[in-house]
Amino acid sequence: MKGLAPLFLGIFGTFAFSWVGLTVIPNWQIGHLNPESDEEGTDIYPQPQSGMFHRGERVYAANGCVYCHSQQVRPDYVANDIERKWGNRRSAPRDYIFERPVFLGKMRMGQDLANIGARAPAQEEGSPAPPTSASPAPQGATASSPPPAQAVAASPATSPMKAASPSAPTAAAASSPGGSPSPNASPPPGQRTGVASPSPGQMANTTPGGSSPAAPSAQTPGAPWPIQTAGLPPMYSAAWHHVHLYAPRSINLDSNMPSYRFLYEKRRIAGERSADALQLSAADAPPEGWEVVPSYDAKCLVAYLMGLNQSHPLKDVRSVSGAPAAGASPAAAAQGASPSPAAAGSPAPAKK
Amino acid sequence: MNATGIPLKEPEVSAAAGDTEQLERAYIDASTRVPVLMFYTSAIAWLILGTLLAGFVSWKLHSPDLLGDVSFLTWGRVRPAHMNIMVYGWASMAGMGTAIWLMARLCRTVLRFPLLLVAGAAFWNIGVLIGVGAILLGDSTGFEWLEFPRYVAVILFVAYTLMGSWAVVMFRHRRGDQIYITQWYLLGAFLWFPWLYAAGQLMLFVVPVQGVLQSAIGWWYSNNLLFLWFGAIALGSAYYMIPKVIGRPVYSYHLATIGFWTYALFSSWTGMTRLVDGPFPAWMITASIAATILAMIPVATVGLNHHMTMQGYFPLMRYSPTLRFTVFGAMSYTVFSVVGLLISLRSVASYVQFTDASIAYSHLGLYAFFTMVIFGSMYYIVPRLVGREWRYASLIKLHFWASAYGIGLMILMLLAGGFLQGADMQNPALSFSESIETVLPYLRGRSLAGILLTVAHFIFAYHFGLMLLGLGRTSTVPTFLNPVEAEISGGH
Repeated sequence: MKGLAPLFLGIFGTFAFSWVGLTVIPNWQIGHLNPESDEEGTDIYPQPQSGMFHRGERVYAANGCVYCHSQQVRPDYVANDIERKWGNRRSAPRDYIFERPVFLGKMRMGQDLANIGARAPAQEEGSPAPPTSASPAPQGATASSPPPAQAVAASPATSPMKAASPSAPTAAAASSPGGSPSPNASPPPGQRTGVASPSPGQMANTTPGGSSPAAPSAQTPGAPWPIQTAGLPPMYSAAWHHVHLYAPRSINLDSNMPSYRFLYEKRRIAGERSADALQLSAADAPPEGWEVVPSYDAKCLVAYLMGLNQSHPLKDVRSVSGAPAAGASPAAAAQGASPSPAAAGSPAPAKK
Repeated sequence: MNATGIPLKEPEVSAAAGDTEQLERAYIDASTRVPVLMFYTSAIAWLILGTLLAGFVSWKLHSPDLLGDVSFLTWGRVRPAHMNIMVYGWASMAGMGTAIWLMARLCRTVLRFPLLLVAGAAFWNIGVLIGVGAILLGDSTGFEWLEFPRYVAVILFVAYTLMGSWAVVMFRHRRGDQIYITQWYLLGAFLWFPWLYAAGQLMLFVVPVQGVLQSAIGWWYSNNLLFLWFGAIALGSAYYMIPKVIGRPVYSYHLATIGFWTYALFSSWTGMTRLVDGPFPAWMITASIAATILAMIPVATVGLNHHMTMQGYFPLMRYSPTLRFTVFGAMSYTVFSVVGLLISLRSVASYVQFTDASIAYSHLGLYAFFTMVIFGSMYYIVPRLVGREWRYASLIKLHFWASAYGIGLMILMLLAGGFLQGADMQNPALSFSESIETVLPYLRGRSLAGILLTVAHFIFAYHFGLMLLGLGRTSTVPTFLNPVEAEISGGH
């Protein structure tokens, strides 16, 4: 090779080409997206997330969840992500504009989590005190997501629970707006409310005032939770996430997910059992007089998971409406959340 | 480490006209001793640590309850710790050691400003150490290969600035007009890395870009680190070692030029292929797939060039450790690129996306290609630094076969497991956990392959330790893998 100038220019030129082509131009093209709204300027999506959500993001990063879980739904013409109920439409750049860092992931040793929050039982999703409700700001996940989304969200929850046999009426009742125990700050339409607790700080404590992500009422006797034989909360509810994080193999024997016990505290029950103590089954249950409660990090992590929801339609992305087992009305969705024998008979797309 | 106590190898003085050249070379080699040995020693220490963590990670994947209750031993922290140790501790340090030695030799000048390098290596080690500690304590950023927190990135960047400026200074003091092929690759690597690292850090952490672009930049970064940093150093080393050992010039400079420029141009565009059908404008991914196909041009030219250079000399691989490792690595470059192309095509990617096939791909690049070439260069360089020859041919052979079989088995397991897992995932009749159960036996096989690699690395570290302690053979004849028959002469 003759001369230094061509060598240096070439080395810089080739790299500059790649840098401009794959980072600068895309940033110019999709690097400044805004949330979408309908004509009246309502129904804004996506919306900024709560402080707990973002702290949960850090916990997610710190413990390397991204190495096994992706957060992207591929379109239905290339993969069956949508058929697996991992979403009702493909993911789009706009879905991620408030997330930092973004965990698209490249590995699926576990399920895709892009819509794990949307898959929560309807009761959880509409409940005024979900774990994502740390800040008074409206949540990114909207309660008014279209019925198919809810149905899609709810139905996969059912089949793995067939052994658990929760009672249908409780779930249905819980999902109805009238069943919400906290009518304060009635949410504007299209927005998910999150005002059960005025500050994230309050969320940290475990007072049974309704601010804990484990949906305390669920844990106490007579809770809206169906009390199942397996002793497990409904799939993808906050309480279920806690049990799953603490003891993955108590939910799916074959799971190879690590347990995250270090995010939980085992302590002696002082006075009354804490409202957010985990409902653990036999082998994992603490000894008599002890309880397992989530740390603040664990609550944030679950808040993060519950906030992952791309079910809201986007203008330039085709939503799949005819998903199998998708009910057309919220009522159907609620029914779907309860394992009617028909639902239980469907193949379980997700066991862990 | 006290490298100065190691006796310098007597230059082989012959009566031929090459006397002064040989003396000069020995003199240059001696000047690189302390910095290069410092890089190599640190690299091998990281390699051992990274290997142990790798075994732990691999085992936990199919036995998840192994030491799972300790926060800093959870799988999701040990895995990035292992990867970052391998990428920044082992591969970068070993690669820089080789690059420094090649730079001094090819610039035909004694190594100037060794303190820059010593300080750089020290800072780099400190940076990696703090970074790994931070990951284990839960301060990871969550971006693959960029998990080190920002304060560690600053340390690494300062350390790199010392070493990068050293390379530029050395290049300015070079003698002779000819710039050899290896120097193109090394100069490229030394100039690309800081730009790449700074761009990654700036666009992800200092002035973060919005949404999915973070992932795009993450993949752009790690892909380019693999090609433009590790790949460039390895190809540079192969272009030096192969002709040197067989004592024959490179087959074609012209091919080498084509190979270099197409490599720089196309491989730097391939980053988005791990995001096929992800939430991005389709043109980004299509451009990367096209670049992956076009990257067959450098693969073909470089492969052809090496092959034609080796033509008729392949039997020498029976004797020379350097040649055996380097040729294995150079061949793996072809395999690596072909597998990369295969798993990037949209039709295949829809199956193997999100499976272990991508892990197989990165191990092909970082181990079968880069690490094997670097092992080869170390077998060549270390005797010239310590003045002794490798003590046991048997240990070198063991190292080679354990490494070759280990990585071969690992990649087979991961590729086969990945394809089956992908097929299961694409089959809507099977539940998701079915696909995991499919891949688990292959992951157990991968753990076994990892045991082979662990054996290889311990053998190599032990052998290297003997060399450091001056326990190598005193001989003017290099250590051959097999007794050399009469007709074979030269080479090493």
